[in-house]
Amino acid sequence: MPGKGEENSSRFNRNRQSMLGRFYDKAGIYVIAGILLVIGVFVSPNFLTGSNFMNILRAVALLGIASCGMAFVVYNGNLADLAIPSYMAFSGIITVAMLPWGLVPAIILGLLAGMLIGALNGLVIGKLDANPILWTLAVAYFMEGFMRFAWSNSQLYPDQILETSGKDTAIAEHFIAIFRTDIGPVPLIVVVMIAMFLILQFVFTRTKFGLQTKLVGSSREVARSTGVNVTKVILLNFIVTALCASIGGIFITSMNKLGVFYLGQGYDFKAVTAVVLGGMMQSGGKGSMLGVFGGVLVIGLMTNILTFMGVNTFQQNIVTGSIFILVVGIHQYQLRKQGKDYA
Amino acid sequence: MPNSEKSISSSAARKNLGHTLNEHRALAMLIFLFLGLSVFAPNFFSIYNFRTILTGASLSAICAVGFTIIFILGQLDLSIGAVLMLSGMLCIGLQPALGWTGSFLAAAGSGVMLGLVNGLLVSKAKINSFIVTLGTQIITFGLMHLYSDGGSKAVNDFRVADMLEREILWIFTPLSLITIAIVLLFALMMTRTRFGKGFFVVGGNSETAWLAGLNRDRYIIIGFIICDGLAAVGGALFAMKLASVTSYAILGNKTLLQVIAAVIIGGTLITGGKGDIVKSFLGVLVLISVNNGIGCFGLGFEVQMFVNGIILALVVLYEAYTVYRKNLLKGQRPNLLQELEKSKA
Repeated sequence: MPGKGEENSSRFNRNRQSMLGRFYDKAGIYVIAGILLVIGVFVSPNFLTGSNFMNILRAVALLGIASCGMAFVVYNGNLADLAIPSYMAFSGIITVAMLPWGLVPAIILGLLAGMLIGALNGLVIGKLDANPILWTLAVAYFMEGFMRFAWSNSQLYPDQILETSGKDTAIAEHFIAIFRTDIGPVPLIVVVMIAMFLILQFVFTRTKFGLQTKLVGSSREVARSTGVNVTKVILLNFIVTALCASIGGIFITSMNKLGVFYLGQGYDFKAVTAVVLGGMMQSGGKGSMLGVFGGVLVIGLMTNILTFMGVNTFQQNIVTGSIFILVVGIHQYQLRKQGKDYA
Repeated sequence: MPNSEKSISSSAARKNLGHTLNEHRALAMLIFLFLGLSVFAPNFFSIYNFRTILTGASLSAICAVGFTIIFILGQLDLSIGAVLMLSGMLCIGLQPALGWTGSFLAAAGSGVMLGLVNGLLVSKAKINSFIVTLGTQIITFGLMHLYSDGGSKAVNDFRVADMLEREILWIFTPLSLITIAIVLLFALMMTRTRFGKGFFVVGGNSETAWLAGLNRDRYIIIGFIICDGLAAVGGALFAMKLASVTSYAILGNKTLLQVIAAVIIGGTLITGGKGDIVKSFLGVLVLISVNNGIGCFGLGFEVQMFVNGIILALVVLYEAYTVYRKNLLKGQRPNLLQELEKSKA
């Protein structure tokens, strides 16, 4: 390759690394968030208010929770988990179906159901090294067919389920209230999202498991020869992904007041967008949970500002897609200049 | 002594048979399915049904041609679902103003333009193709919804639609003949011309390609132009057949999934360097026949998804397992004793 020698030498030449590049690598997404904040102030006087910010956070909370999970898969170098909508829908359906057993057991069973699919994915991808995109795509396809078939294309209403089993319908109201609960001025879902980001940031940087994930993401071969049980790490990663997505699934089911196979559709690509915007590269082992939170925040701010500007959803998609390619392109260019991009 | 030789050769023969079967698994699956469904599925074995299968396969088959080329290059194109929807929408929307030829060319042109954008972003801006096409997918769906205002478009001119589905030689229609022509044309290009063979070199090992004097960037740009251009042609033909399109992103996404599954069943590697367009076409026929057979049993769409998912999962699993086993046995020689005896003799 023509430019390979240059790249190699710059890889070791730390001095040539620009300050801007290093700063961008760490906090680039928050710079964009700051720019968006400034734009927002000019766009509308209602932008810089507490209630608007709470609206933004509430709107991106589900995406944030799904992105928490997706971040693990991207971080360990497995490109993407396209089965995230299946985790969400399946955990929601199981929770609704199990409501007669009580609210807490139903939620636990719902989370376990999602984690079961995650474990299957992790096992196949970790043990056999199957291509993650193709495998999770197949699982998503299969699970959607399964859910449609098993519940014959119909929607599960919590109150109906409880009535037919002769239980108190108050449980259904409790379940529906999960999404609508506020803790002080802050909605429960936002609290959960922020807590998850903080916990996962701690896991990423301070625990053995997080560091092993980083090593597996950077280079599977190195991890294996260092003595890391790669299969186990990837399996656990996928289970965590499924757990995060299942938490999101229970919230989205509670929001829609019904469990059905199509809930969560689209969150696979949206979560990848947020995660990659937040500075996690597909090559793995790079980025941080706080960056991902920035990515989620930028998507929320952008949608909010564009709505204030009177741009409709379709045009918003075009803007989001363009900014996505632009930001990731610049980030990859910066990494390549520093010789850090091994993708 | 002859006994041991025989055992080696028989195991080798078994291996060869397995290898050949795996190489032609799309064809083997198709024949197996065809025989099974003809015997067991009611109404499957009829001229009319075969014509339906061949015509119904056209959209996915045309997309699969380009997608195989992208896979051979070692790239991924998630945007074809959106491209075919946009192209179908343009083809119907522009028909009153431009006539069928003009609108068809405009629709195909939209695909070529998007392919050029994808190709430039992947090769010149050096962004991962997964990211680029994910972004252009979002943008293209946005453009499609914007153009159609989130509704649907239809024309009153059904002549072309009727013409495309006219019966030719019992089981063919003009639509399926166009599809087969595109498949054969590109298959010949990939296997017989020096230009086509270059795709395999670029996808297999870009360093070798550079040493051989092949321009990697140009190949990637042309690959994306072919892929998205063909997706647009497929979408336009599909829209012409129906004489209407609804802005329903699911159709695009389902086609994308079906195309990916078909290409994998056809034995094309996602890592690049290996693939066959005719086998991808057979893979499409396998999936369409399965869906058709399930319909013959009176089962619904959900069972089709279920079965398609299982087929794709099994093929991916099998492929991963072969590589896993190969790595496990790397450096091992199970027939070492026999080999030694043979060399002594």
